[in-house]
Amino acid sequence: MSADVPPPLYQDLFIVCHHENGKPLIHRSSISLGLAGAVLIDLALYGRVRLKGRAVVVTDPTPTGDPVVDAYAGAFQRDRPELDAVTWAKTVSADSYDRARRQLVRVGLLTEVTGRRLGMLPYTRYRADMAAIVRASTDVRSAVSGWREMDARGAALCGLVLALQVHTELYIGQSSAQLTTTLRTIVNEHSPQVKELVGLFEALIGEAAVAVYR
Amino acid sequence: MDPQAGIDRFGYQQELRRGVGLADLVFYGLVMMVPIAPFAIFGLVYSRSGGMPVMAYLVGVVALLFTAISYAQMVRAFPLSGSVYNYAGRGIAPPVGFMTGWAILLDYLLVPSLLYLVASIAMNSSLPGVPVWAWLIFFVAVNTIINLRGIRMTITITKVMIVAELAVLALFLTAGVWALTQGYGRGFSLAPLFNPDTFSWPIVFAAVSVAVLSFLGFDGISMLVEESTGGSEQVGRAMRIALLLAGVLFIAQVWVAALLVPDPQGLLTSASGTAFYDSAQVAGGEWLRQVTSTATAVSWGIANTLVAQVAVSRLLYAMARDRQLPSFLARISVKNAVPANAILLISALSVGLGLWMSTRPDGVDFLSSLINMGALVAFIVLHLSVIVHYTIRGRSKNVWSHLIAPLIGLSVLVFVVIHANVMAQVVGLIWFVVGGVVLGALYLLGRPPTLRPSALTKEPV
Repeated sequence: MSADVPPPLYQDLFIVCHHENGKPLIHRSSISLGLAGAVLIDLALYGRVRLKGRAVVVTDPTPTGDPVVDAYAGAFQRDRPELDAVTWAKTVSADSYDRARRQLVRVGLLTEVTGRRLGMLPYTRYRADMAAIVRASTDVRSAVSGWREMDARGAALCGLVLALQVHTELYIGQSSAQLTTTLRTIVNEHSPQVKELVGLFEALIGEAAVAVYR
Repeated sequence: MDPQAGIDRFGYQQELRRGVGLADLVFYGLVMMVPIAPFAIFGLVYSRSGGMPVMAYLVGVVALLFTAISYAQMVRAFPLSGSVYNYAGRGIAPPVGFMTGWAILLDYLLVPSLLYLVASIAMNSSLPGVPVWAWLIFFVAVNTIINLRGIRMTITITKVMIVAELAVLALFLTAGVWALTQGYGRGFSLAPLFNPDTFSWPIVFAAVSVAVLSFLGFDGISMLVEESTGGSEQVGRAMRIALLLAGVLFIAQVWVAALLVPDPQGLLTSASGTAFYDSAQVAGGEWLRQVTSTATAVSWGIANTLVAQVAVSRLLYAMARDRQLPSFLARISVKNAVPANAILLISALSVGLGLWMSTRPDGVDFLSSLINMGALVAFIVLHLSVIVHYTIRGRSKNVWSHLIAPLIGLSVLVFVVIHANVMAQVVGLIWFVVGGVVLGALYLLGRPPTLRPSALTKEPV
């Protein structure tokens, strides 16, 4: 991918869902589902798949060039022609977090930092590059402030950020309720495709919270 | 027929990762029921049954086996994670589903309060210096923190809990049988099963209305249908196996305990919340009394409340998402991936109700009667759903499974409800009237109950 092409959505989402010291802001199972959603949205925005009801139809089998997106996209071609999006997302979320993190380390946006708590308990964190943190949240900030026209990628990121309830961590000068309304409006009014995909993953995240086992 | 083929026939897709096998389902059902559940309500069942707790549990397990058969039929028709709320709504009509959900809500909402109260009474029996109310607040606080932090029961923890509870039960049974052979208690007798001096069907059904509490939770297995490796068929089988296992365990423990009751006449006239622990003391001494009461506290106050909290959260979430309950109950906290509002509501209700009931001498009796009332009414509607869905609408030729079995199950449960605690009947009736008013309000507001499919599941065609 060339330098002026934005990075895959899952990379920005991963960074937005973590504190700059690498600590997750929300439950890992929720981030994993959000990342699965981001990959599917990436595929849809790159024109590789489209939703037909809840089934995912492959429209262009050409790889995108991102190893994570392409690895997961393979399932749509391998398993069956119209794989159910939810089934796919639940399978993908089993390891989407680890895969995304590895890729972010590989491209230099995350740096592995090890240390010991209280001098004894070892820990490993993945700190994000400050420029990446600023860039990752730019779409959401610009959408809320209205100083840039929102594209589908930005609207989808707004939706996923809202679904994962990390929008309040972006320090945008609006109250939580106001910010929620603004982001919801952006998602609902951008395009049916973005609204449908974000809604699907919002429901998935909700149902995962009341799952018997996880 | 291949279970998955049945699902595909209705356009359903396999949704969750199917990784829960038959044994896991049975274990889950057992942890929901608690294999040592009679420890806590033995005195009540003994007193209500005229000294025939074995008869009460026997009739109870038979009645609920019919309910399990009906559950299996509805899970097969609608293989979606859900409760009787879903099955009645889809099998009969959405308003019936709403009222059934409202009925089972009485069970689900009150269960945590009862679990906390029983656990607190058991701990107070072990450590009388700490009052019941203090234990109650302690248990609610611990569980609320655990739940809000998103710590969930795992398959492994479920197995560990079951093994620990079974170990305590084995200890009691061994000590109890040994004590009986040594001349303690009244020796072996059939009186706990059938006593011609006290037997009458109204007495038996009244006792069953309390004893069924121990079996409640077997229906929770249906929540795992989408994860089941064997689909809906396996879920139905797991329900029957779990119920039979629980029935055998319950009957064995109450039989031995009944023969060791130190003061049978006293217990018949005044139900004691610590009757089982008194029998355990006769069997093995003070240490066994402590072991049984502590096991009750841990299994009811921690293990069972963890799974009960998930069950009630799911029901509140499903009904709120369908706009049949306030929408704040459908909100979740993504930070810990928990339904935080539902958890806080249940915790507040449990503290308020638990503290109030701890001041009433019949607190456990009253709460359990209400819970059973909600569950039994919901189960009656479940039987009706089978008849309506299969026999009336589907013109099924399977007369046994789709007509006779649900009719038998329904009839037994109607008798049990008729002979239940009168106050529970009155409060239950008030609850249903309130439900009717809410249903009317939903219609007036232009929001009639509709079973919106989960955004994640397809509707049957």
